[in-house]
Amino acid sequence: MSPSSPRLEDLAPGQAVPELAMAVTRERIAAYAEASGDRNPLHLDDAFARSVGFPGLIAHGMLTMGHLATCLTRWAGDPGALRRLRVQFRAPVLAGETIVAGGTVREVDPVERRVVLDVWVRLEREGRTEHPIRRGEAELRLP
Amino acid sequence: MPLNPALEGRAYPPVRFVVESERVRRFAEAVGSAGADDGVPPTFATAPEIEAGLARVVADPELGLDFTRVVHGEQEYEWRRPFRVGETLEVRSRIESIRTKGGHGFLTIRTEMLDEDGETVVLARSTLIERGEV
Repeated sequence: MSPSSPRLEDLAPGQAVPELAMAVTRERIAAYAEASGDRNPLHLDDAFARSVGFPGLIAHGMLTMGHLATCLTRWAGDPGALRRLRVQFRAPVLAGETIVAGGTVREVDPVERRVVLDVWVRLEREGRTEHPIRRGEAELRLP
Repeated sequence: MPLNPALEGRAYPPVRFVVESERVRRFAEAVGSAGADDGVPPTFATAPEIEAGLARVVADPELGLDFTRVVHGEQEYEWRRPFRVGETLEVRSRIESIRTKGGHGFLTIRTEMLDEDGETVVLARSTLIERGEV
């Protein structure tokens, strides 16, 4: 726990988790492919990605989910606080884009010390906001 | 070729996966979670899930999955406790459902990771979408 960790008693529906940004570089995608073991050529081979209709390399959906989890566990101050995370991958993230993860409190359960959040990952592309992850759901346990 | 619906329910033999510190370190760096207080990132679960589970399911010749048309649709994790560096997991995967909708195939795979005492550490559910031929 860090000194800035949220106290369950101070949380209420609608409160925001501080957003966290990450640059999704080609190097990061390649490092994630190695570390996760997902070496699908969509994430490593520009020519292949273009041959199946993308403008170039795309990031793993799981990399964007991993970043979302980082945003949540940093907020909680404890990697063990995250108990459940469910997402749908709605739009690809292209190499070179910057993603922003965030969430809002939906439900606070003081008996189970449980917080349910609506979570997402967004990015700006050509002046529009896209959501690689929207309507995700997370559950955390706080001390 | 559509996914073979007869494989719904198929379970794959369990595989062992060691939570190695170097692998954890590289994973944590990739997901931007390599700080001193960050511990093992919860989504490190993806590494055993893919290596010991998904990789063998998608390579099953009887399934008929065309990996060049696969995108990740949904993912869910349920953590019972954090991973411990150095522990050995037993990873069990099975095909939970196979569906076709709007010309696309939907494959849902359930993976359970157990520790040396047989206790569940993480439950994972992954839905892969095989895009229909254009």
